[in-house]
Amino acid sequence: METLPLETDPNLLVGRETSDDAGVYRLSDEQALVQTIDFITPVVNDPYDFGRIAAANALSDVYAMGGHPLTAMNVVCFPVKSMDKAVLGEILRGGIETIHAAGAVLVGGHSVEDPEIKYGLSVTGLVHPNEVLTNAGVQVGDGLVLTKPLGTGILATAIKAGLVSKEAERRAIESMATLNRKAAETMAEFKVHACTDITGFGLFGHLLEMATGSRVSITVYTERVPLLPEVLDLVQMGLVPAGSFENRNYCAHQIEALRAIDPMLLDVLADAQTSGGLLIALPQEDAPSLVDALKSHSILDAALIGQATETGSGKILLA
Amino acid sequence: MGEATLDCSGLACPQPVLKVKQVVDRGDVTCLRVIVDNGAARENVSRFLERSGYEVSVREQAGIFEVTGTREAGASICDAVTAPEEGRAQRKIAVLIGTDQMGTGDETLGRKLLLNFIGTLKELGPELWRVILLNGGVKLSVDESDGLPGLLELEKDGVTVLVCGTCLGHFQLLDRKRVGETTNMMDIVTALQLADKVISFT
Repeated sequence: METLPLETDPNLLVGRETSDDAGVYRLSDEQALVQTIDFITPVVNDPYDFGRIAAANALSDVYAMGGHPLTAMNVVCFPVKSMDKAVLGEILRGGIETIHAAGAVLVGGHSVEDPEIKYGLSVTGLVHPNEVLTNAGVQVGDGLVLTKPLGTGILATAIKAGLVSKEAERRAIESMATLNRKAAETMAEFKVHACTDITGFGLFGHLLEMATGSRVSITVYTERVPLLPEVLDLVQMGLVPAGSFENRNYCAHQIEALRAIDPMLLDVLADAQTSGGLLIALPQEDAPSLVDALKSHSILDAALIGQATETGSGKILLA
Repeated sequence: MGEATLDCSGLACPQPVLKVKQVVDRGDVTCLRVIVDNGAARENVSRFLERSGYEVSVREQAGIFEVTGTREAGASICDAVTAPEEGRAQRKIAVLIGTDQMGTGDETLGRKLLLNFIGTLKELGPELWRVILLNGGVKLSVDESDGLPGLLELEKDGVTVLVCGTCLGHFQLLDRKRVGETTNMMDIVTALQLADKVISFT
């Protein structure tokens, strides 16, 4: 992507250059298009659950930009010749239910024959041009609120290995299949400075994008970060996916621990997430009300996890 | 007593851990050598073996890692096979010094004891791996400190001395440090993780 020329159309409000969640293109003074595509390989064994998760994961990018989704198209890779088509039917059923739960409609799609299953959506949404939320708007003094627990990458690895309790598996699946719609609608009632969703780069990676883009340093209160059940135990058992180690090593030089942090917890903070929560920056004094409002909408894991503490280098401090 | 070797090269996580688990679950393997070809598998397999009660050592050659787990130290055939030239896989001891005196009661005495402690640390032998200086401890690393000679000697013997950069900054001693590497908490946390034994006083 870096070798491609940058676009210069004045209506392109958010393009490729800021590593944001979706592109935003102004149609009028009142409306801008939000466009995103995301498809993934299976993270759970049940095809219906996988469909729900992949759809929620793709739709999330629209919410993270402050928009709402209108239409979606299926993107499918499936071994049609060697696998029962009923599996694909279940994946797509999970997908369309989630699209409808987002208030969007399925308008089409495309599939290719592929030995490895992949599913996701191309999503189009709308946002008011003045209400676009990028990850570059964090201001010193902002509190950072996270709306879902971390650890889905580790849990997915443990599920593949068959080394996780049914209860923990259930919690992980429900968390990933939950749309960020309610969180986004709740956030819209507040004066929010920046937002992103936590996906493949883990909390560390997405925090760094925010910190660097906004030229602030962010202090994370590590003990307040919500975690999926059993996740620390699973880290100790050696069930961390390779991508999460890569995240940790990639981010390490921009992270400074202010006190001794459990190394197992560091791996969870770097864990690559599928369909993670929204990470919302807003004035610190409003942050507790946002957390309360999220909880009253059944987003029970929502927590104030950090604060933008100083201008400058784009560092993460761990407290 | 049993030993086993598993070649897990080319496998992505969690496959190596699953293969190791199968062997460990047999219950009779006291020495297990696992070949992996990526850093993630190395960390995961090491953790799984440690958690299963094995003592773990890792050797790397050209991007290939040999993770060796042993139970019942000393008696195993594996020891002889694993490291014929180097002797037994060495333990790593990290010493964390977070103060400029030892114990409470009398400051002058506390200072003397700490200097004596640093001077005697070399008796730990080659197992002494890292000395980490934090908070008041960083004052030992600066010019004109009476702790400096002892630390320099340790460093000469191959011990890594890590000095907390935040702490040096706090005491405005950044340009007076004369021994060791200025470091951050990430390094310190990593050192504490990798050490087989941590001796700490703060």
